[in-house]
Amino acid sequence: MPADLLYEIGVEEIPANAVLPALAQLEATVGEGLDRVRLEHGPIATYGTPRRLAIIVNDVDDRQEDVVEEIKGPPAQAAFDAQGNATKAAVGFASSRGVELSDLEVRTVDEGEWVFAHVSRPGQPATEVLPALLKQTTEALTFPKTMWWAEVGFRFARPLRWLVALLGDELLDLEIAGVRAGKTTRGHRVLGTDSIEIDHPSRYLELLEANGVIADHRRRREMIVRQATELAATQGCRPRIDSDILTEVNFLVEYPACVMGSFGSEYLQLPQEVVVTVLQGHQKAFAVEDDQGDLAPNFIAVTNADPAAADTVRSGWEKVIVPRLDDAQFYYEQDMGQPLVEHRQALKRVTFMEKLGTLYDQSERLAKLTSWLAEYLDEVSGSEAQTARRAAELAKCDQVTMMVRDGKLGEVLQGVIGGYYARASGESEEVARAISEQYLPDQPGDPLPQTGAGRLLSLADKMDHLAACFRLGEIPRGSADPYALRRRAAGVIEIVRQTGYHFPISEFVQQSLELLPVPPDDSSLVPTSQAASRLQDLFGERLQAVWEQGGIDYDICRAVLATDWDDIAEANARGQLLAQLRNSQPELFTELVTAAERPARIARPENIPEAAEVDTGLFEHPMESRLLQEFADVRDEVETLLEDKSPDWVQVAALLAGLLPVIHQYFEDVMVMVEDEALSRNRLTLLRDIDELFLRLADFLEIVQSSD
Amino acid sequence: MTFQQLITTLNEFWAGQGCHISQPYDVEVGAGTMTPDTFLRALGPEPWQVAYVQPSRRPTDGRYGENPYRMQRYFQYQVIMKPAPADIQDIYLDSLVALGIDLACHDIRFVEDDWEAPTLAAAGVGWEVWLDGMEITQFTYFQQVGGLECAPVPVEVTYGPERLAMYLQGVDDYRQLDWSDQIKYGEIRYAEEQQFSGYNFEVADTEMLGELFGCYERETDACLQAHLPLPAYDYVLKCSHAFNLLDARGALSVTERNAMIMRVRRLACRVAEAYVTDREQLGFPLLEE
Repeated sequence: MPADLLYEIGVEEIPANAVLPALAQLEATVGEGLDRVRLEHGPIATYGTPRRLAIIVNDVDDRQEDVVEEIKGPPAQAAFDAQGNATKAAVGFASSRGVELSDLEVRTVDEGEWVFAHVSRPGQPATEVLPALLKQTTEALTFPKTMWWAEVGFRFARPLRWLVALLGDELLDLEIAGVRAGKTTRGHRVLGTDSIEIDHPSRYLELLEANGVIADHRRRREMIVRQATELAATQGCRPRIDSDILTEVNFLVEYPACVMGSFGSEYLQLPQEVVVTVLQGHQKAFAVEDDQGDLAPNFIAVTNADPAAADTVRSGWEKVIVPRLDDAQFYYEQDMGQPLVEHRQALKRVTFMEKLGTLYDQSERLAKLTSWLAEYLDEVSGSEAQTARRAAELAKCDQVTMMVRDGKLGEVLQGVIGGYYARASGESEEVARAISEQYLPDQPGDPLPQTGAGRLLSLADKMDHLAACFRLGEIPRGSADPYALRRRAAGVIEIVRQTGYHFPISEFVQQSLELLPVPPDDSSLVPTSQAASRLQDLFGERLQAVWEQGGIDYDICRAVLATDWDDIAEANARGQLLAQLRNSQPELFTELVTAAERPARIARPENIPEAAEVDTGLFEHPMESRLLQEFADVRDEVETLLEDKSPDWVQVAALLAGLLPVIHQYFEDVMVMVEDEALSRNRLTLLRDIDELFLRLADFLEIVQSSD
Repeated sequence: MTFQQLITTLNEFWAGQGCHISQPYDVEVGAGTMTPDTFLRALGPEPWQVAYVQPSRRPTDGRYGENPYRMQRYFQYQVIMKPAPADIQDIYLDSLVALGIDLACHDIRFVEDDWEAPTLAAAGVGWEVWLDGMEITQFTYFQQVGGLECAPVPVEVTYGPERLAMYLQGVDDYRQLDWSDQIKYGEIRYAEEQQFSGYNFEVADTEMLGELFGCYERETDACLQAHLPLPAYDYVLKCSHAFNLLDARGALSVTERNAMIMRVRRLACRVAEAYVTDREQLGFPLLEE
């Protein structure tokens, strides 16, 4: 008779963001485990709170499926002697499979006679098999960080304090880290009892709920959203629910009880980003907005308390939040007391990075870098370039303000608050905007800066930082990237990809490195040329990562990166095109690859000197001049297309693919490698020219065709 | 509940749990964790249960007495239980009940907070305990101290008595806290906050402090050469406090700061090893009990 399985791991509060990944592992590992031990089962569901990870599997078979196997052994000749008696080989085989001689059978297979052992192992009861499986599953759980707490040598996210393991109403015999599984779980610390007997898995959720625990995290999440919305609605408002904060607070409570508190409306004079950061940062509370989208003087805290205690709890929360808002207001008022430009002088006393000057020096460099970049970009106007320059000069001023020097607030508000201070100091709206956008995009998925000046500044800032770190020898190693260099490189790539800004990245790298100050003792710095080449490699690596994450096949990535990808926007266009062709026009894609391959394969190893030109006087076969003519026509058209800032790569691909018939015919009729060296070289030179044209799109030798 | 009643209550509670009530250590420290009663006793296999008030000095936190919540010297209530009892969270919650906090009327949460002290080469895993959104206790299972793995694992429970008392008395400013029925906290300590903030931020002689750091470092070494880990540790603490004062004066560049932290760390690790060796030679006396 199948029965439901319940397994609950009871712990001291696990870090909120570690619970969901652990539940996913639990589900996957138990599912695989049950299949491996041949226990049929029904649906699997997991439930998590800060204090428990639980899994319920419906309809688990009470017994493993029997194993019935036919195992092939030695040839019949070797197994039985002339009299038909079993030989040592047969005896050995039988015993190694745990069967009797009488279980051996001779069968004819593949023109021979072989001995087979009929092995049948009856399945074990599930109650005997499950404990080991559950124990292994638990021991295999991984967390970002583990600890140990007792001498048993077992590590887990937090101390493991109880276990429930039931199959139907039967207790499973299981012990982990000195804790023996029982039928008893614990309820909410305050709203429930400490000792709840679960008589059957089907009663798990309801028994916990009766004791103040909503074990189903999906339900808790809905409850939080509903409560927050209802509370805000009492003020004619709605909650601003940041989804990361929601996930986190969902795993800080076992029974969600939202309370809405208030603070003085004078705090709303602060920039809304400041208020939201105070509420969300340390306190993990939601901000509230009115139907215009403006902040209301309220917050919503998701508590773990008895809803009946709401008044006390709310008043306690207000006592914490108001001082924090007060601190922020104090900082803001102090900072606003000085025009931003005066903070600029203070930057001369703040080190940027050891040996690489001050933040003041950096601001000068950023101004130069933005101007340098603006030269390349038609889409950026003269006034935007000027805005970027001014913004660059002021971009780091907020680093010396009190708001940014408060670590927790500063992390989130830097740049953004600089924009506010700039505006208040009388800088133009455009300059303020650019300053506020200078760090975007920071995390993957972040929006780009919206203004041209903001984009220039962001590119300059990221590249300057990268150049400085690489010059100091700080490069990402393995999973370690303490300076977020990969993220910054990815940010540069993302801006370029989405804006289509065309400029040579290698020169941008070079320029950034050259602008860095050279300290009197530069012996410990990485030579500029080495730093440049490593930084270039980082960009190549990130570009590939971005493409692969976007679903572009590995071989297409390589094919584009094997060409000159210095103009990342252009390289990106090529990569996207090829991926698109492969998916939506596979025949055209194949033609392209086929046309490119043979000229490349044959000509490249020959290393034809660059200066070499095709000499029509050496043509012998009519196909030679025909190939040259068709190729020259295509080349002219392609070059015209490539004169565009953003060329029509679809057309280019079509033109190149269109050479396939003539190339194919050429190879049918003409022998490239002949005795006459001059003839050969001439033919190779034409093939080289063709290869080079294809290389403007990609190195098709990197493409893996399934027909290969 | 006055401030002093809060301390007496905690003393009684933890004495009831088997802790001996120690007295504050008399060398300047930034936290209860740094005192010998915690740092040294966390090392090695010997059990230890102690609770005590520890005045803690954090020069950079000074606000001339004007900030209602922040002080350059405040008190921590420090508890160490080694090995950590299996029901320590419940015991802790009972201590809150002993303080008159009705758990059913509040929002109590254990919020992930792992702790690291680079100067002591120490790290632990645990939580901040929030009472209605306010952090009142740090709860940590030490994993490593002085560069050595902890076995058995001690649990440290550190309360902020000023905060707790302010909460219980419904008071928003430390100066208004009733220390006893006769006198307020501010009457006792406001002038001290003013003067010490002035000293820490404006007056402290940084050259002298730099020299003292060097002297203390050498004396630590001398004590270790003489196989005296306990006096050696006093000098490690003095190095650490000198560092904190230099930091408050803004006298250290990023590199200098990191370098100094490493120097203190190295000393702390040497002392830790010497201490364990010392206890081992004594036969780990507390193990028998």
